[in-house]
Amino acid sequence: MNSFVSRFASTGHDVELRKAREAFGDEDESLEMWGSQAGFGPLSKGVPSFSVPAVPDPSAFLRLHTDDHADPSCRIKIKHGTTTLAFRFRGGVIVAVDSRATAGSYIASGTVKKVIEINPYLLGTMAGGAADCQYWETYLGIQCRLHELRNRERISVSAASKYLSNLVYSYKGMGLSMGTMICGWDKTGPAVFYVDSDGTRLKGDVFSVGSGSTFAYGVLDQGYHWDLTDEEAQELGRRSIYAAGHRDAYSGNTINLYHVKEDGWKFIGNYDVSEMHYEGPAGVGYGYEIRTAGKSSANPPPEPESQTAQT
Amino acid sequence: MDISFALTGKGYVIVAADTTAAHSIIKVKLDEDKIKTLSPHLLMAYTGEPGDTVQFAEYIERNIRLYQIRNIYALRPPSAASWIRRSLADSLRSRKPYSVNLLLGGYDTSTHTPHLYWIDYLGTLASVPFAAHGYGSYFALSLLDRYHDPEASLEEGLATLRRCIDEVSKRLIVSPGKYKVKVVDKDGVRELDF
Amino acid sequence: MPDGSYAHPQQRQFNPYTENGGTILAIAGADFTVIAGDTRQSEGYSIQTRYAPKVFRLTDRAVLAVNGFAADGNMFVKKVKQRLEWYRHAHAKDMPLRAIARLIQTMLYAQRFFPYYVYNILGGIEEDGSGAVYSFDPVGSYEREACRAAGAAQSLVQPFLDNQIYFKNQQLPPGQTRPLHLSLSDVLSIVIDSFTSATERHIEVGDGLEIYVVLAKGRGPQGLEAVRGAQELTTNAEGDRVFIVRRELKKD
Repeated sequence: MNSFVSRFASTGHDVELRKAREAFGDEDESLEMWGSQAGFGPLSKGVPSFSVPAVPDPSAFLRLHTDDHADPSCRIKIKHGTTTLAFRFRGGVIVAVDSRATAGSYIASGTVKKVIEINPYLLGTMAGGAADCQYWETYLGIQCRLHELRNRERISVSAASKYLSNLVYSYKGMGLSMGTMICGWDKTGPAVFYVDSDGTRLKGDVFSVGSGSTFAYGVLDQGYHWDLTDEEAQELGRRSIYAAGHRDAYSGNTINLYHVKEDGWKFIGNYDVSEMHYEGPAGVGYGYEIRTAGKSSANPPPEPESQTAQT
Repeated sequence: MDISFALTGKGYVIVAADTTAAHSIIKVKLDEDKIKTLSPHLLMAYTGEPGDTVQFAEYIERNIRLYQIRNIYALRPPSAASWIRRSLADSLRSRKPYSVNLLLGGYDTSTHTPHLYWIDYLGTLASVPFAAHGYGSYFALSLLDRYHDPEASLEEGLATLRRCIDEVSKRLIVSPGKYKVKVVDKDGVRELDF
Repeated sequence: MPDGSYAHPQQRQFNPYTENGGTILAIAGADFTVIAGDTRQSEGYSIQTRYAPKVFRLTDRAVLAVNGFAADGNMFVKKVKQRLEWYRHAHAKDMPLRAIARLIQTMLYAQRFFPYYVYNILGGIEEDGSGAVYSFDPVGSYEREACRAAGAAQSLVQPFLDNQIYFKNQQLPPGQTRPLHLSLSDVLSIVIDSFTSATERHIEVGDGLEIYVVLAKGRGPQGLEAVRGAQELTTNAEGDRVFIVRRELKKD
């Protein structure tokens, strides 16, 4: 109703705004941007529009100026380097991530939140471009809420991940960079989906993404089975991220641990990797040198019976 | 693409290397032994540039043998490691360097101590409780941080090696099929069925 | 060709970016935030100007520091200010800080395929009266923190801040606990020391220093009264208050 009135009104602020836009030919701003919708106004009406440089190959332009592993001279450093993991087991889903962001060899941040709380039942993880993951998973949260309102029912993890997968696939070749796990609990039980910016979408039990993923897999695979208790599962997630933080220079600082159960996700805790090395979560350090202190591989033959004075 | 592992335990060193010889996309041979016995108590696993590997390993093998013939006693593991490292370092600074990565496992019979050295083609030497070369290291090192025990029995040590090999088989696309496993302890060198 | 056209196809590199040096930083206290930046603007070895502000008052409770490519930075600040003005007209109040942070994310991300080459740090007072700092990357990923340095000398300043603000790698005497928040006078000293030291060791930092101080509503100016030349910029005396402090830095 309001929009109907304002469209035909000849006075009022949005008329002024419309006139100003006509005068300046400003196509960047849409009418929704000016409202109170935190910039997400136009998003509820479909995918937002992006400004693109006027060059023959925009994605080549972007690649030239943003961080590419092959070229350290490019100016815009997009944060990279990560270890994230998620696995499904009898007691739900464990999600564990590190908190380091690097730009080249500089540690840009040690307090990054790489688990994105999409809604009380859905978690997304962040690997690759931090902004890409943060922005699109927030956007996914909006779409999941709209689904809820339209269908009087929560969206399934499968549908949510498919929404994201289709969305990033529509930008394929434009330079988005994300490797994410969408985790949650729906009618089918615990669910984990791997979605990346190539357009890959995989349902599975165990995933790890990022530069430190191989190190996390090493510990995770060896300790994983379906019938883990909640405590064992949380410990396995934490221990695996520690392993990656210890062996991969691009991962580290702290571990964020989440557990998704039937009634939604719960934040378990934040653990300092160095503290885990020396003290562990319960006084026993994870560190190899700490764990094996005082042990020796030397194998001297048993001392011959000492000659004691005999009578 | 070569993968090699080694780990120490109570009074022994296990050295394992895959047995594939590859050329382009083809597996040319499936049972190549990439672990040389340098002396009665010294094993060396070698991986790297085809051609260089065997040439360098045989050069080392002959010279370690020559030392033993001349001096009656073989070099003890720390000395052998130093000499091998220096050979690689000198090679690196020559016109045609050897591109060979090594794992050197030995048992010092006079101190009853097992020794393991990680050496790469640049002449980097590190004395370590466990080691890996190739893509296997990305999966195995974190696992060994977690499961390796310096006082493990041979059975326990082999179980840990089994974890490494299983993990690589599970996660690595180009994982090799078979491994040769050798152990060196107070009784000398022997090959194990694995 | 005589008419100015080319006989053969021409190819040129389109490079609309440069780096203009300088450093910015922000530190949040319990009920205040300090946002600062030097005023030197340079390109390569040449100093373009000794006074080009990088820190801007957005509202009575929000200050934005922008670093990187100056032209993009100025354009970006201009657009943020415009959006905040529209918000004021629509709602008859200033946008809350956390909403400004989200707005900045969406504005930066709208340029995802043609980024603004700018590192933003937003400082101010939240609706609950606490001091807050938000830091952004060029394409809009952001995080709330207690302190952050960005720009040319970030790798010199941030470790110092980690040590002095977060007490990283500090062994405190037994029985002593580290304070949760620092006082305003301590924070101001740390900020000034950060910039004098960065000026000593980084060629792109120097000339002048502008420090903005945002105080939560109802908080007295304690910690600021002893500061020479603090100037109030507040428009509405009822709410949060903004001050600016200017200092000289070495000019060589």
